[in-house]
Amino acid sequence: MDRRKFIKNSALASSLFFVPNFIKAFEAVATEQLGYKRLVIVQLAGGNDGLNTIIPYNNDFYFKARPQLAITKNVIKLSDDLGFHPSLSPLRPLFDKGELSIINNVGYPNPVRSHFRSMDIWQTASGADEYLQSGWLGRFLDQHGKKPYNALEMDEQLSLAMKGEHFNGIATYDYKMLYKTTKDPYFKNIINHYNDTHLSEHNLGYLYQTMIEAKSSAKYIYENTKVATSQESYPNNGFAKQLKNVAQFINSGLDTKVFYTSLSGFDTHAGQNNKQTKLLSQYAESVFAFVKDLKQNDTFKDTLILTFSEFGRRVKQNAANGTDHGSANNVFVIGKDLKQAGFYNNLASLSDLDNNGDLKYSVDFRSVYATILSNWMNVSAKGIIPTEQKTMNFI
Amino acid sequence: MTQQELQHLYWRASFGLNPAENKSLPKNKKQLVDALFINSYPISPIKIDLSFMDGVSLKTLKNNPKFAQELRVKSRKKLADLNYAWILQLIESKQLLREKMTLFWANHFVCKDNHVVFAQKYVNTLRVHALGDFRTFVKTISKEAAMLKYLNGKQNRKNQPNENFARELMELFTLGEGQYSEQDIKESARAFTGYNHDFDGNFRFRIKQHDHGIKTFFGKSGNFTGDDIIDIILENKQCASYISDKIYRYFVNPKPNKKHIDAMAEVFYKDYNIENLMRFVFMSDWFYDEINIGAKIKSPIEYLIGMVKTVPVEFEREKDILKIQRILGQTLLDPPNVAGWKGDKGWIDANTIMVRLKLPSVMLNNAMISLKNGETDLKDDLKKAYLKKNKSNLPFRIKANWNRFSENYKLIDIDNLQDYMLQGRTNIGTADYLKTLNKSSKQEYCIQLMSLPEYQMC
Repeated sequence: MDRRKFIKNSALASSLFFVPNFIKAFEAVATEQLGYKRLVIVQLAGGNDGLNTIIPYNNDFYFKARPQLAITKNVIKLSDDLGFHPSLSPLRPLFDKGELSIINNVGYPNPVRSHFRSMDIWQTASGADEYLQSGWLGRFLDQHGKKPYNALEMDEQLSLAMKGEHFNGIATYDYKMLYKTTKDPYFKNIINHYNDTHLSEHNLGYLYQTMIEAKSSAKYIYENTKVATSQESYPNNGFAKQLKNVAQFINSGLDTKVFYTSLSGFDTHAGQNNKQTKLLSQYAESVFAFVKDLKQNDTFKDTLILTFSEFGRRVKQNAANGTDHGSANNVFVIGKDLKQAGFYNNLASLSDLDNNGDLKYSVDFRSVYATILSNWMNVSAKGIIPTEQKTMNFI
Repeated sequence: MTQQELQHLYWRASFGLNPAENKSLPKNKKQLVDALFINSYPISPIKIDLSFMDGVSLKTLKNNPKFAQELRVKSRKKLADLNYAWILQLIESKQLLREKMTLFWANHFVCKDNHVVFAQKYVNTLRVHALGDFRTFVKTISKEAAMLKYLNGKQNRKNQPNENFARELMELFTLGEGQYSEQDIKESARAFTGYNHDFDGNFRFRIKQHDHGIKTFFGKSGNFTGDDIIDIILENKQCASYISDKIYRYFVNPKPNKKHIDAMAEVFYKDYNIENLMRFVFMSDWFYDEINIGAKIKSPIEYLIGMVKTVPVEFEREKDILKIQRILGQTLLDPPNVAGWKGDKGWIDANTIMVRLKLPSVMLNNAMISLKNGETDLKDDLKKAYLKKNKSNLPFRIKANWNRFSENYKLIDIDNLQDYMLQGRTNIGTADYLKTLNKSSKQEYCIQLMSLPEYQMC
C-alpha cells in the first residue's frame, strides 16, 4: 500500500472509530422514523410470453395453439389449471408462503402491439390513444418527492416512467462512478464559485442547479450505502447486479422510495424456448437472492416488487417456433402480507380471443398502479394516474 | 455582424463555427445567410452497404422463416452502420443547414424502423425535403414505408380503419393537440385506407382496400384521398402557426415569442416553403437579440457534433459512437416515441449533466481536467503516470487530433478562447474562476471550457 492510500484509509478508519455512540444511536432512530414503503419495479422488456411463464397445463387450446412451443415437461403445478415454467422454480417457496400474487390478463383497452408505444403506455399510465410526456412514478415524485434520489433507476438512462413534470429521479448503473465524477476538483471549484442567484430562472441556472443536486445526491448515495450489508450471493448477470445494488440501498436505509430495474431480450419471435428458459432463470434466481437478502436484513416487510412486461404474446405460435406480439399478460406482485396471494384471478379464455388472436384483458394495469399507490405508498392516485381506477385488493 | 452573432447563426443553422473559417465568410448578413442556403442546395443521401438484401424477395422470406430471422438480426446490426454514417455526415457535410434541418425534421416526423432499408430511405426523404415544400413533404411522409409501419398505416383498411396515423398527422405533424375532433380523425383515417408499400419500400396504393365513400372532414365532404386531407389541413392557418412555433423553439429560443411566431406564420402560410421561412428567421433582427444568444440547451447530438468539429477525432471503434449517444440520451434512429425527444430541459438530469461535463476530458484528454496553478498536487512525471493509467481505463478508444485544433485556433489569443467556445452569458462566479486558471496551453484551457455548464448552451 502506498503512503497516501494508507493515510486515507487509516484516517477513514479512525474517524469511524471515534464516532460517539450516541450519534450512532441517533442514526438508528432517524432511519426508523423514515419508515416508509419501498417499491421495486422489474421491467421485462421485449414482451415476455406470459402463457409460457404461467402455463395452462391442462388446457387443450394451449397445446393446440402451440404444437412445438407448449411446455410439456417439468411444469411446476401451482393449481389445478396453472403452473410455473420450470425456470421459475426458485419462486416456488415465495408462492407457497403467500408472498407472491399473480394477476392474470392485465392490459388496457385497444392494445397497441408496438414495443415502443406499449412500453410508453405502461410507463406513463396513459390510454392507448394519448401521449404523455411524464411517467407515473415521475408524477408520484412531483407530488411526494423531496430529493432526486427518492427514485433510483439502475441504468444509465432514466426511463420515461421516472420522469415527472418538474422532478426527475436519478439513473445510475454505477453509483460509485457517478460519485467519482462529481468529486472531480474542477467541478467542485465551479460549484464553489457559482454565485449568481438570478440565473436560476434560466436554462443555464437549471444546469447549475442540476449539477449541484447531482453532486449532493451522489454524495448522499455513496456515503449512506453500506457496502458490506449483503451476505447473499447473487447469480452472475447484469440483472442480478441491479437487484444487488437495490438491496444494498434498501438495507442501508437510503431514503429512496422507488427503484427501477430492467431485464431485456424477451422479444422471442423465433426459437423462443431456449431464450425464454434462460431469461426466466435469470429473473427467478436473481429475485430469489434479492428477497433472501432483504429478509436477512429485515427489510422485506417494507418492500414490494412489481414485475411487468409491455405486452404478452400471441396465443398461437408462429412458424419459426416463436410468438408474435400480443396483448394482455400476467403481472407479479411480491411482498410480505399480501391480501390475496397466489392467483388473484383466473386466466382469460383461450378460446374467446380478440380479433388478433390475443388474450382479452380483464384487469387494467392502471388499477394495479392505483392500488399500489393508495394501499402501499399511502398516497392518493389522483394526479398520478390520469383516469380514475378501481382499487384492487391484493395488498 | 459581431463575432457572437456570427457564431449564433452558425450554432443554430449548423453546429458552431471554427475561427479558421471566419476569414472565408462574407461580411454582411444577407450574403452570409445566402451562402448557408446555396451551400445546402445539393443533396447527398446516405448510402450504406446493403448488399445483404441483394436477391432477397418476399417469397424467399416466406418459405424460409429461419433465414428471415437471420436477416432481421443482420438488419438490426446494419442500423448501427446507418447511425454511424449519419453521424459522419453531420460532422463532415458541407450542406450545413440541410443537415441541421434534417435533424430537426427527424424529431418532427418521428419514426423508427428496424428494417435498415426502410430506415435509410426514411432519413433520406427527410434530407430531400428538409428545405423544400412542406406540403409535398407531408404527403411524401404519409407514403413512406417506415411511417406506414410505425403508425400502422398499412393496417388501415376499408371497414377496418386504424386511426393511428390520422391522429398523429394532426396532433404531432401539422396542427397540434386539440385542433380537431375525434370525428375528424375517424373520417380522415378512412381517406388514408389502402396505403401500403412493397417489399423494397416503395409506396403502393391498394385500391381494393381503399374506402371510396364520402368523408366529411373539417366541414367539407367528398370522396377524399389522403392527399386531399393534407391539402385541407394546410388550408388551416393553424398549421403554419404550429410549425412556426416548433421551428422558433428549436432554432431561436425555447421560450416562445408570440409576436415573432405570428410573423413567421404569415410568411409560411403564403406558400409553405421551408426555405423561405428559414430565410425570414435568419434575416430577422430579432433572431440576433441578446436574449436568444446562448439561450438553448444543446441536444446531445448538437453537443457531440459541436465538440468534434472543434477538436476533430477519430473513433477507433464504431460501437463507441453508439455508446456515447446512449449515455447522453439521444441515439439517432432510436427516438423514445412518436412524440420524439422532449428537448430543452428534458435532456438534463443528474446523470446526464455529469456525463456531459466529464465527457470532453474523457474523449479528448484522457479524463484529465487540469486546475489552476498550485492547486494540483500532480507533478509532471506523476501526471504522466496518471494519464497512462487512465488511458487503459477509458471507456472509449478515440484519437483526438489536437494539431487540427491548434491550426484552427492559431490566430485566437488564449485569453479570448472562451469567447469562441461559449455562447451567451457566463455565470459571474465561473467567469471569475476562469480568470484564475493557469492558461498554459490552449488544449488544457479548451478542455476546461468544454467542462462547464456554459458549454451546454448554444
